[in-house]
Amino acid sequence: MSNEAATKNAGDAALFLRKATGLVRSWSVFDAFIYAFFSINLVTLGLYSISQMYFFDGGMLNGLVIFGVLILAEVVVYAALIAVMPRAGGDYVWQSRILGGGIGFVLAVTGWWFILWLWTPLYGDMLRKMIVVPILALLGQRDSALWVNSDTTAFFVASLITLAFVTVIIIVGMKRYATFQKWSFWIGNAGLLMVIGLLFSGDHAAFKAAFESNSTALFGTAAGLYDATVAAGEAAGAVNPLMGGDFKSISLLLPWIAFFLLYPNWGATLYGEVKGADDFKRNFNGMAAAVVVTVGLLILLFFAIDHSITWKFYMQANGAYWYTAWGNTKDASPFPIWPYPALLAAFMTTNPIVQLLVIVAMSMWFFGWAGTMFLSSTRVIFAAAFDRLLPEAAAQVDEKTRTPVWALVLMVVPGIIVAYLYCYNLWSFASLTLAATLVIGITFFGTAIAATILPYTKKDLYEASPIAGYKVLGMPLITVCGAITTLFLGFLLYQWLLDPEAKYGIGYSINDAGVKNTTSLYFMGVLYGVAVLIYVGMRMYRKSKGVNLDVLYSEIPAE
Amino acid sequence: MTRLFFATDIHGSDICWKKFLNAARFYDVTTLVLGGDMTGKALVPIYQLPDGRHQAILLQQEYILDDEAAVIDMERKVTSRGYYPFRVTSGQIQSFRDDPSLVDTFFHQQMHASLERWLAIADEKLAGSGVRCFVSPGNDDPFEIDALLSSSPHINFAEGQAIDIGEGFTLISSGWANVTPWRTYRELPDDRLYDYLKAMIPSELSMEKTIFNFHCPPYASNLDDVPEIDENLNVLNAGHSLVPVGSTAVRRLIEEYQPLVSLHGHIHEGKGTTRIGKTLSINAGSLYEQGVLQGALIDLDPHPKRGLFTPKSHIRSYTLTTG
Repeated sequence: MSNEAATKNAGDAALFLRKATGLVRSWSVFDAFIYAFFSINLVTLGLYSISQMYFFDGGMLNGLVIFGVLILAEVVVYAALIAVMPRAGGDYVWQSRILGGGIGFVLAVTGWWFILWLWTPLYGDMLRKMIVVPILALLGQRDSALWVNSDTTAFFVASLITLAFVTVIIIVGMKRYATFQKWSFWIGNAGLLMVIGLLFSGDHAAFKAAFESNSTALFGTAAGLYDATVAAGEAAGAVNPLMGGDFKSISLLLPWIAFFLLYPNWGATLYGEVKGADDFKRNFNGMAAAVVVTVGLLILLFFAIDHSITWKFYMQANGAYWYTAWGNTKDASPFPIWPYPALLAAFMTTNPIVQLLVIVAMSMWFFGWAGTMFLSSTRVIFAAAFDRLLPEAAAQVDEKTRTPVWALVLMVVPGIIVAYLYCYNLWSFASLTLAATLVIGITFFGTAIAATILPYTKKDLYEASPIAGYKVLGMPLITVCGAITTLFLGFLLYQWLLDPEAKYGIGYSINDAGVKNTTSLYFMGVLYGVAVLIYVGMRMYRKSKGVNLDVLYSEIPAE
Repeated sequence: MTRLFFATDIHGSDICWKKFLNAARFYDVTTLVLGGDMTGKALVPIYQLPDGRHQAILLQQEYILDDEAAVIDMERKVTSRGYYPFRVTSGQIQSFRDDPSLVDTFFHQQMHASLERWLAIADEKLAGSGVRCFVSPGNDDPFEIDALLSSSPHINFAEGQAIDIGEGFTLISSGWANVTPWRTYRELPDDRLYDYLKAMIPSELSMEKTIFNFHCPPYASNLDDVPEIDENLNVLNAGHSLVPVGSTAVRRLIEEYQPLVSLHGHIHEGKGTTRIGKTLSINAGSLYEQGVLQGALIDLDPHPKRGLFTPKSHIRSYTLTTG
């Protein structure tokens, strides 16, 4: 037999398995795609953040494509780490094992737990802007719609409703919610296709007329709304183009695009035994497909917007809205509500049933996604409690309802407090929006560094893993992609924290015209300070009780 | 004080076995307990090519091994993941294909040989150490390993027994589990499992100082969540929906007897602790294929005092370790 024939022979029988627990077949890449796709939700997170980017000079499509390409390195990092250390529990354990327990704890609890408190009002804001206000308006409840749109108490209530929804999902469990998410995926995408179809169904003149008439009918706006919106948008500095711009102006979009496109890894499949390189590819394919399809759908949607609304007017409407919402002008926005593309698309039809159907279908982008808000937090709280870094009760599950009561308290109660501060804008908390991404970015930064050094610090583990053969120019793929991700996240962190171009407003800008956001810095400082205090305090407390936490991740010598 | 180290589900990993034995010195423990599922799940053939080189496919990656040193290194990598390497010619592989029962026989031979080697290592490391080591097989372990384990001078075969481990503490062990989709060696329906396990528990035993070492975790304890699978063993919802698969029999026994501690494994991703009534239940989890030994380090106090804010308990402290 030739070497070639023998090699083929080996490939046919590379492994003999016996009957043993846990030897499952595989999971569907399409399923993995759905969860990653929802994690970078192009409607809730995407449209919400893009609408706030009206003042950037760089072309939106250019920025989206570049971000989509760069984030694939992060996707490789997470798929590779899962392949090397499956079932480990994600960032917390990876960082703890590679960088040390203290770093792992602090970065994981801040990025996967504490900062989710700040996401509570952001989710609440999306709930009211994308679902409650449009539906009330379409049902003829003008006053209620406008009240929910502008009243801070209504905003706070929307945040509480979001928390209640998330709590119910945790009690119900992921088994049922996963099925609901699949339905949400199909219904939401059907809604999105309706939106795109409606936007392509007429020209700009048709949109202009529909915008005026529908807004008058729904919100009682005066004639000349379109022109007033254009003027208000120009006054707000709305300049963002759909395409074009130089390298610098495009790169400055990236820290804001990160608000939605940074987390394809959120939906990664962490469980199950890794059988080989296929598992790495499957995880990569699921997450990468989510990035590619999200960017692709956004490009299609933006061309649809440009066809009838026009990108320029869309950005002017966004500028007019946010300039007022952020308190930069005392003038009311001519179009009184957030210019939700789905509602603007619904204006293209005169059929009220279709209008309502579009918004209801699009609402599934929220309901199929928001339920996982605290999923990562629960995992981190449990892992920290098992490591004795939180009280044992934090991981205790109620025997009757199977609800992690104290973990829920640790997520929900601070979430309510932060939502209150944000909704009522106490101490300028409403300026912290992008900090919600910054803190997660720091956690991913830690993981990217851990991935970069993994082949050298955990040589045996890496060399016996399914990704050991993946090299780029002789270097481990995980190291190369880890380094790219580290540099990319480093760039984002530099922009967010030092804000040299005065674009983001959540750091201490080194630009004289920029914002020195002490609230943001104090807030993040408190989060990291609390994490360090818990870590140090619990170690001291456990030591006083005779528990030595130094042994948590200390490797036992094998020889 | 009795310091106990518990690990489980090492599934043929040489590294984890050595770490388990070394844990005695590393953590300064007097009692080692291995919860079951010692044997590996897979054979990895290393082919001899006509040109004298060898070839192996590990985790779907092909390796061409130029010399003996490379083959030995590959065998080390394979065993570090808990698989059994074996050198083979194309003729042998063909015979395996023609008669699958030969694979089964060969598998058992490999398990036996591997376990003999492990016991020799245990003899070397435990002799004269004063450390007591208790091992019970798990549901994945074939019955023939029982005799081998029982023959070891330094390993205490613990299956089905209530053993005094010193200072009045009793360890009751069993590797039997409720029925799994894989129909493994030691499985019983929950009603029969209940009777089987209950029969091991002496009627006069003080539960305040008793440890259940039952391989299978209690049902719906958060120590028994696994990704949901369909009838063809495909993972549903990309592993995002978790379902409890533990034993209702184990849960009933813990609820009825309320032992001091219950130790479990079986569900590798189920690492954690929970309280069922007064009982502290622990699943140490398993990362055997990474050569990482997860475990639980427990300090048992035979004469505890009531603290200012804490009740009197024979568990002085516990820690889940990732070694």
